[in-house]
Amino acid sequence: MKDVVDVVIIGGGVVGSAVARELSRYDLRICVLEKNFDVCYETSGRNTGVVHGGFAYDSGSLKAKLCVEGNRIMGDLSKELGFDFKRCGKVLVGNTEQERSSLERTMAQGERNGVQGLRIIEDEELHQMVPSVVGKFAMFSPNSGIIDPFGYTISLAENAVQNGVRYYLKHEVTSIRRNGGCWEITAGHQQFCARWVINSAGLGCKKISDMLGLCGLDLVFSKDDYIVLDNRLGSLVPMPIYTVPSNTYMGIHVTVTTDGNVLLGPTAEDRKEFENYGVEQKNIDYLVDCARALWPHFTKADFIRTYCGVLPKWVDKNGLIQDFGIEINDDFAPNAINLFGIESPGLTASIPIARTVISMMKEREHLLEKADFNPVRKKILRFSDQSPEEQESMIAQNSDYGEVICRCQKVTKAEILQAIHNPLGASSMISIKYRTRCMMGRCQGGYCQMRIAQMLQDELGINDTDLLYSNEGSNLFFGKVRKKAGQ
Amino acid sequence: MTEKHDVVIIGGGPAGLAAAVEMKKKGINDILLIEREKTLGGILRQCIHDGFGLIRFGQTLSGPEYVQRFIDEVDHLGIAVLTDSTVWTVSKDKVVTVMSPQGMRTIRAKAVVFSMGCRERTRGALAIPGERPAGVFTAGVAQSYINLHNEMIGHEVVILGSGDIGMIMARRLTLEGAHVIAVFEIQSIPSGLPRNVHQCLDDFGIPLYLSHTVTDIHGAGRLESVTVCKVDEKLHPIPETKQEWACDTLILSVGLIPENELSLDAGVTLDSCTHGASVDEFFQTDRPGFFAAGNVLHVHDLVDMVSIEAEKMADSVAEFLRDGFLPFCPLEVIVGKDIGQVVPNRVEGLHDVSFFIRSKGQQENCSIQVVQNGTVIASKKMRKMIPATMAEVKVKKSNFLDSSPLEVRIV
Amino acid sequence: MKKVFTCIICPNGCNITAEIDGENIISILGNGCDKGMQYVKQELTVPKRTITSSVLVENGIIPLASVRITDPIPKERIPDMMTYIRSIKVAAPVEAGFVIDPNALGLETKLIVTKSVPYERKQK
Repeated sequence: MKDVVDVVIIGGGVVGSAVARELSRYDLRICVLEKNFDVCYETSGRNTGVVHGGFAYDSGSLKAKLCVEGNRIMGDLSKELGFDFKRCGKVLVGNTEQERSSLERTMAQGERNGVQGLRIIEDEELHQMVPSVVGKFAMFSPNSGIIDPFGYTISLAENAVQNGVRYYLKHEVTSIRRNGGCWEITAGHQQFCARWVINSAGLGCKKISDMLGLCGLDLVFSKDDYIVLDNRLGSLVPMPIYTVPSNTYMGIHVTVTTDGNVLLGPTAEDRKEFENYGVEQKNIDYLVDCARALWPHFTKADFIRTYCGVLPKWVDKNGLIQDFGIEINDDFAPNAINLFGIESPGLTASIPIARTVISMMKEREHLLEKADFNPVRKKILRFSDQSPEEQESMIAQNSDYGEVICRCQKVTKAEILQAIHNPLGASSMISIKYRTRCMMGRCQGGYCQMRIAQMLQDELGINDTDLLYSNEGSNLFFGKVRKKAGQ
Repeated sequence: MTEKHDVVIIGGGPAGLAAAVEMKKKGINDILLIEREKTLGGILRQCIHDGFGLIRFGQTLSGPEYVQRFIDEVDHLGIAVLTDSTVWTVSKDKVVTVMSPQGMRTIRAKAVVFSMGCRERTRGALAIPGERPAGVFTAGVAQSYINLHNEMIGHEVVILGSGDIGMIMARRLTLEGAHVIAVFEIQSIPSGLPRNVHQCLDDFGIPLYLSHTVTDIHGAGRLESVTVCKVDEKLHPIPETKQEWACDTLILSVGLIPENELSLDAGVTLDSCTHGASVDEFFQTDRPGFFAAGNVLHVHDLVDMVSIEAEKMADSVAEFLRDGFLPFCPLEVIVGKDIGQVVPNRVEGLHDVSFFIRSKGQQENCSIQVVQNGTVIASKKMRKMIPATMAEVKVKKSNFLDSSPLEVRIV
Repeated sequence: MKKVFTCIICPNGCNITAEIDGENIISILGNGCDKGMQYVKQELTVPKRTITSSVLVENGIIPLASVRITDPIPKERIPDMMTYIRSIKVAAPVEAGFVIDPNALGLETKLIVTKSVPYERKQK
């Protein structure tokens, strides 16, 4: 049974969901095929959560142009879509004359790229801005910021769904065929027939690209390991602290998240294959040493967890990293837009990438704008951010706001229920985590995970043995300890 | 609208319950005991194994039975209790904000008792490398799933950490049909009680590997295996010794951390050894009117000792409410040689005092000494000391020489 | 022949050494109290253990009630006792102390509930 649609977007991460959201402005039947059980399981949910300024990329590149544009619109976007974004600035800290020259070159590149407000600040001003940093001077980028990458990706997806896009989670594309004027795509048990296909498969972009017949493109995978520190340290990191970068590697950062956790990382190591998301001991040790030189205010007692993210980098046959690949080949693969090697600053540039895709579509087809497109999406209201008066009123209207489920992050039952009944139909434990921050605190779900597991079963009618922690095979339970009759 | 109460007790587990009962018996009537769960009892609700109450009641009871005795007394004495209520914050001037489905309450207290217990050390806190599959549980979470939620969490189990809770879970899992493959302990001695090594591991043929630790975790969906290495004297893994152990469940029993977020909100100073509040012999923190007892103060081995400690603290709270203050305690207690932690951290020097001590590492044929001005003012001979077992050293009031600092050490 | 035991009766966990000659106990040393002596004597004849576990509760606010046997039973009978415990259901409300079986498996021990579980009617 074939689903006939106008557009299939392969990959529902931040770029795929940005494309879905922007395309949903037009009168098109759009579906997103996401192989995982939720939209931010891979690169979109495993990064530094930084909105980049745009100075670190070669002038004239798509990375530079689309990053600067994405940075510019991020404030308005965060209000429209309801995700956390802080334009807190960033410092790139140096100590030596060589580093100063490097920063001056970076600043010049930034200015060429259209980045506003970059300046070199000296010791005194640096320590007024970031008292806790070790460094003699820095380049200050006032427009850089931090973002909740889960919240952003989910908000794009939910706004797309609000505007009629259909998301198919757990649908990995297994074959693509060109048949007449359409693309026949098989994903899960479903078959789609689409006029347009957008490859936003991230780590899988080469696999999909090859399926589309666009072969010969090469990827390397940059494996990035991070350490997360307790949010009691957050006040010591008012903005991301970077070391002096090169055009291929950002360097070790000490960043703060929108929840106030401190991140150390990433280490970055290019690999030919993507193996798994295992964090390595040597990287943990390396991060601790490097971060201490820059910001020595933590001990092992502050560790909350570690995580790993992988970036897909497009390389030529000499291994040189290329720009973003945003391409269409009208001869070999008509109506297929290939987004290849969308690594950093893909998160920052996501909407401008989407708009570029749409302008490529518009060059080949007339797209009719919908009158009823709604750009506004409301996020789950955070009880802990409200004033005491508002909190009292919320509990009076809905007593579930008075039941605190996650103590570390102060998340209430009402918020978790809203997360469970999310528009995408994501139903794993970490889907709830990404939507509410529960289980992200210092007890890592030690107190709340049992309740959340019960709530998911009760609300969605999931059997205990079918409840998943994250992805396929991540079942939590093996059955009841004591079985009722018939169990 | 702010309510007023004489005492607010935060946490209705064994410490909070014993404190409430004792305060009521000492004539304090205006007590409010606040508990975030739907029922009182704290962690003992899920500790269904026995071994509780040998000192207190001369019987070996299960956790729920032990704590029921105090719950019954709280009921009988008509002490006001709020359940299903979470303390949101505690201000420096003793205003306690509570959230419950019934609404938000602010309570101004004359005295605040912290009895929130502990949280467990997590995989993330240890930064154990590897993937993040399902099937990695701290022992308390596993215990809660099995004992309270009726969920079986694994079939082929590896346990990291030979703390009591890990060993208790080894037995529980085995009796429920799981295969506990091995227990690994990074130290060279077990970190729980010897009786548990025997009745939980030896009895079931579960091997205990000392000086070993987990160095990697494998599995994309559910856990598939762990990598285990022997460690050297500095507890560093020896890479050449690494071995893969296939399993579907990893239980972590790697330490308890007193849960003091609310204490920090109130501006209370924590002790760097116990990670609980720094307290004087009256169990008062460094902020007058704030008290702490039980696992939130320092992790105990026996709940019987938690009850005794909470009752001592309760007596001090009663005195505080009566007089408006407690005596200043000028004698600082210094953690000396081979001592892991000491409670209390300050004493007045005018009363008999008990110090509760854990050693650093295993000590044999030693003496715990309390030293003032170079003179040993109290000592206790110990045939053997292990960090797993808390020791008590009593100092008589007549032994204090002056108000100079005390050092507690092991020789 | 010397045999070393860790007593499990109380948290002290005394290290007790028994000297035996065939079936005769020559000496028992290292016990902190008489209970330890009794424990070792028992271990040398018929080792016994207590068990704590759970039974299913019908219509309770929680699905399980914790249980224990009041007197130790021979170690080798533990699997039989577990099989028996697994077959038991109690109906809420049930009080801590309720005697499920005054002579479980005929082994001269009571099987008692150790946690009170109030009644709650569920829809499913």
